Amino acid sequence: MFLFRICIMAARSLQANLMRSVLACLGVIFGVAAVVSAMSILEGSTRETIERFKTLGADQVIVMNGSTGGRGSRGALRMSLTRPDAEALLELDSVKNTSPESLITAQIKYFEKNLSIQLLATNEKYTKINNYEVVRGRSLTKQDVTSGRKVCVLGHKVARKLFGETVAVGTRVRIGGLGFTVAGVMEKKGFLGMREVDTQVMVPLSTGLSRLFGTKYVQFITVQAERSDELDSVVQEVKRTMRVEHSVRAGDPDDFQVFTKKQVTEQVGGFVQIMQLVLFSIAGISLVVGGIGITNIMLVSVTERTREIGVRMAVGAKRSDILIQFLLEAGAISVFGGALGVLLGHGLTGILENMTQVLKTYTTGTSIIWALGMALSTGIVAGLYPAYRASSLDPVEALRYE
Amino acid sequence: MIHLRRLQKLYKMGSSVVRALDGVDLTIGAGEFVSLTGASGSGKSTMMHIIGCLDRPTSGEYLLDGAAVSKMNDRQLAVVRNRQIGFVFQTFNLINRTSAVDNVAVPLIYGRKSSTKKASMAALERVGLANRASHKPSELSGGERQRVAIARAIVNDPKLILADEPTGNLDSHTGEQIMAIFHKLHAAGTTVIIVTHEMDVAAQAKRMIRMRDGKIVTDEILDEQRRSALQAEAYIAPQPVASPT
Repeated sequence: MFLFRICIMAARSLQANLMRSVLACLGVIFGVAAVVSAMSILEGSTRETIERFKTLGADQVIVMNGSTGGRGSRGALRMSLTRPDAEALLELDSVKNTSPESLITAQIKYFEKNLSIQLLATNEKYTKINNYEVVRGRSLTKQDVTSGRKVCVLGHKVARKLFGETVAVGTRVRIGGLGFTVAGVMEKKGFLGMREVDTQVMVPLSTGLSRLFGTKYVQFITVQAERSDELDSVVQEVKRTMRVEHSVRAGDPDDFQVFTKKQVTEQVGGFVQIMQLVLFSIAGISLVVGGIGITNIMLVSVTERTREIGVRMAVGAKRSDILIQFLLEAGAISVFGGALGVLLGHGLTGILENMTQVLKTYTTGTSIIWALGMALSTGIVAGLYPAYRASSLDPVEALRYE
Repeated sequence: MIHLRRLQKLYKMGSSVVRALDGVDLTIGAGEFVSLTGASGSGKSTMMHIIGCLDRPTSGEYLLDGAAVSKMNDRQLAVVRNRQIGFVFQTFNLINRTSAVDNVAVPLIYGRKSSTKKASMAALERVGLANRASHKPSELSGGERQRVAIARAIVNDPKLILADEPTGNLDSHTGEQIMAIFHKLHAAGTTVIIVTHEMDVAAQAKRMIRMRDGKIVTDEILDEQRRSALQAEAYIAPQPVASPT
């Protein structure tokens, strides 16, 4: 009851100087807004990434270009994976299927209709590995790949947009200036691996690499293991085989990278932790600055209200009562600022999401509680010194203060 | 009620020592109406601060209602101020941002009373201001503000009211109204001590104590004759206490 009354007193004195209170907590407002919006963006993108990786099979190993040795960015960019690598990996007993893959953004044309798509050059195993079914016509075949036929298989959305309800199979389309025959249309799938496959068009790897990509290198190789519970040993075998294939000398770092779903999820988690650390550091700095603002205003307030403090002491306020009152005022300022900051941050992420259209944000209750908690503790720490000053005033001196 | 024995209060001013109170012996009984007067610098304010438990003597003994106040710590003094003493100041010292009734309730809050509304309203009623309870100090006249301050002083039913120049900021008519309230409180059994340098105010008490240079120079019980003489003196020379004889 006493604390409640003291809270009301604190709220009243803040209300009496509303403008000043708002200005005092400006630092906290922006600090908290920054934390909330950054955490929302981080949370949103993490969720989206994890959501997409869920479709990555537990029996899959992804081999990518680039070294894991971390020798600068040059190594990471160098292409080294080829079609023969995929064939060599397929020789392993523990490997069921391999599909070399390369992706590019391209335009597909059907008469006056023009569509931006993801063009995937791959082999006939791709659909098997991913349990991706064809609904019309046929999927890519071994013959398509070996003889480099100019055929394509359309993703669900692509077929829908180009052909609507009419039959697509057998018609001619142009991709990147080349003529292709539509061999089939795939089922509606959404996301596979890290990308939306419904807006994807598949062409045979050989055709794609020689005619559209103009390179012998592929971007990654998906390896399907025979058994998903032995994935770690498969990874080791894949690595060994790749090193032999690429003639990497003992002691030299790999010129490729190998991922599994588990590793990717862990990496995303690790990245999130680092980002959280960075965010909290930034938030910490802005809250320290905000705290200094509050300390400053509270010191002014204590000086201004010296006489009032004297009167309160004269009518029986203990030093601890005065201390609590000013601490609560500082805490109230910063929680008020924190609440405004949460609103501002939430509004900001909403605007960002609407403006960019790609950014996914998600404000969690935890992040709001964190932000408010940090604001409250900032306020109390910031209020300590002014509150101590107020409580250690001499009542006689305070009453005399003009 | 109040026993002061060889009370001293020394202040260091640079290298010299100022004796604000220089060996004061005084006893004030329960229910007395005392005025404490003297020129500025006579020590009457220091005396009031010590009697009011806002300050501690350098040496000597102060018993309030039998309790050795001079040996208490800050926390205990705060409790004594809250329960046993009511202060009235020259400049009212109300908290401007809250209503009259909330100002009156402040001592109850620090006294950890569970309900404040009823007692605060009762105190306002005793000073005749119940109808202005929700007004803020800025909406009240000087006399009304001082009445709110008195209501705040009496809300905890203290045994002792200490008033420091309570009429100093008021015109004489309003001052009389305020003094009438003190008379009423005294009649109800409360000990009242008024610190003032206005002789006509001081003369209204039943007992008048004059101070000079930290010492009590006169301590007299006022009868009707003496009172009218003092008041006549005050009427002729408005500020006779400025240089007391």
